[in-house]
Amino acid sequence: MAQRNLLAVFLAACAVTVCAVRDGAAAGDAAAGRRKALMCQTCHGLDGRAKIPEAPNLAGQSAVYLGKALKDYRSGARKNDMMSIVAPALKDEDIDDLAAYYSSIEVTVAPPPK
Amino acid sequence: MHKRTMLAVSAAVLLASAAAFAQNNPGNLEKLGQFKTTGASPNIPTIPQGGAKAEAIKKNLTKIKLPHGFHIGLYALVPDARHMAVGPQGVVTFVGTRKAQVYAVTDRSKSGVAEEVKPFASTIDLVIPNGPCFSKDGFLYIVEQNRVLLYPAAEFFYESPDVVAVPVVPQGQLIPKDDESYNHTARTCRVGPDNKLYITLGQPFNVPAPEKLEGFKKLGIGGIIRMDRDGKNREVYAWGIRNSVGMDFNPKDKTLWFTDNQVDGMGDDIPPGELNRATKAGQNFGFPYYGGGHTRTDEYKNETPPADVVFPQVETIAHAADLGMTFYTGKMFPKKYQDAIFSAQHGSWNRTVPVGARMMVTYLKEDGTAEKMEPFAEGWLDENGEYLGRLVDVAQLHDGSLLVSDDFAGALYRIWYDGK
Repeated sequence: MAQRNLLAVFLAACAVTVCAVRDGAAAGDAAAGRRKALMCQTCHGLDGRAKIPEAPNLAGQSAVYLGKALKDYRSGARKNDMMSIVAPALKDEDIDDLAAYYSSIEVTVAPPPK
Repeated sequence: MHKRTMLAVSAAVLLASAAAFAQNNPGNLEKLGQFKTTGASPNIPTIPQGGAKAEAIKKNLTKIKLPHGFHIGLYALVPDARHMAVGPQGVVTFVGTRKAQVYAVTDRSKSGVAEEVKPFASTIDLVIPNGPCFSKDGFLYIVEQNRVLLYPAAEFFYESPDVVAVPVVPQGQLIPKDDESYNHTARTCRVGPDNKLYITLGQPFNVPAPEKLEGFKKLGIGGIIRMDRDGKNREVYAWGIRNSVGMDFNPKDKTLWFTDNQVDGMGDDIPPGELNRATKAGQNFGFPYYGGGHTRTDEYKNETPPADVVFPQVETIAHAADLGMTFYTGKMFPKKYQDAIFSAQHGSWNRTVPVGARMMVTYLKEDGTAEKMEPFAEGWLDENGEYLGRLVDVAQLHDGSLLVSDDFAGALYRIWYDGK
């Protein structure tokens, strides 16, 4: 009985954690990120679907991944003709907001038609 | 025996899956050059016109502001539409993309709206076939990232997936393979009044390193090259250009005008974009010593620029990305616009407050220099700074109306004048 209670507590805690990660709210502000994404829209789209062949889709991408990618472009650890130009101007807060926005876009996937 | 069957089956599967990934055999180009068929199905799937997407675009077009008496309408849905070449017969317009397709857009009844849009030369694997252009006698050239193909009588052959195609510059010979890049490799072309083929060749960097310059200069990378129409006698026509994605000859004085996209990362308001005029072969337009207009680049600020740099005729708003352009030779538009230049601003990609996404008009003085540039059609950038479209190229139809391409919405628009 005690064990079952423990499990319930654990599950509830888990749900809260997952919730926080899913919202991306732990770090960034998705609404502010959408406004800042005006600088990203021509390549990655405001909907997170790439508009040019050389850019990746960002919709639904993990905020952790997006934050690391932007910081790596900012520091020079990663280089790209376009990203190395825009990333150095971003503050930590901008990166968190952008990562929160793009990760918050819901995507659905389907296997390719047989 | 059983094993051999298995092998045959797996080989067949392998072949089938290879076919699914790369439908086109590299030998196809050779066959087409010899007027042979590749055996492809004659039924080319068309791009659906109309529907919700067309309605959404038409609604966006109601927000576009034009001078009094001008109108804009949806001409065709063309995915990723970039530079255009209107056929000499006025039946088919060929539209390049930065992907792997060229589209043939047909308005057989000349109703002002295209009836059919379908892939062109679909049995050839194309790589960034951005730049189509016609000679006056009906030969279509399409410049890809690293190849130029000639399509004789394209306006007649376009209905088959197999079209006659002849390499003018074979694969890998436009630029060294090592310099192939995703950046700045959307080419444009024109057949000049001297009957030579002119090609804009962007250089692949924001600002190139000094050790790249000599090789680039020799090949005209970061410049405009010209060659005979069979690809012979290639030479550098103009250099010191960062990334030109639009040019046209002034039919009056034969000078070559071109846009140039300038350096990124120097802030929102510098350096300006450019509209340039080449009056003869061999001129230097200042890049990379100048990053746009008279603004020096940080990387070359301690170097002495060439003494004979030709500065732009017009400095445009920074980062607006001036791309395709055409001289207006029609009679439909009022006198004021006749012989003027119409050009497209794609719109900025990295400016904090976006600018551009509009059509510009440049009037010339009697002496053939620029008088001024002003907006002609605006409204693709909404009040929140979000794009409804991004314009790429302007081309003139035979009735004197203009086509404008948009690679964001994936559409061609037609602009006409009736004074009402």
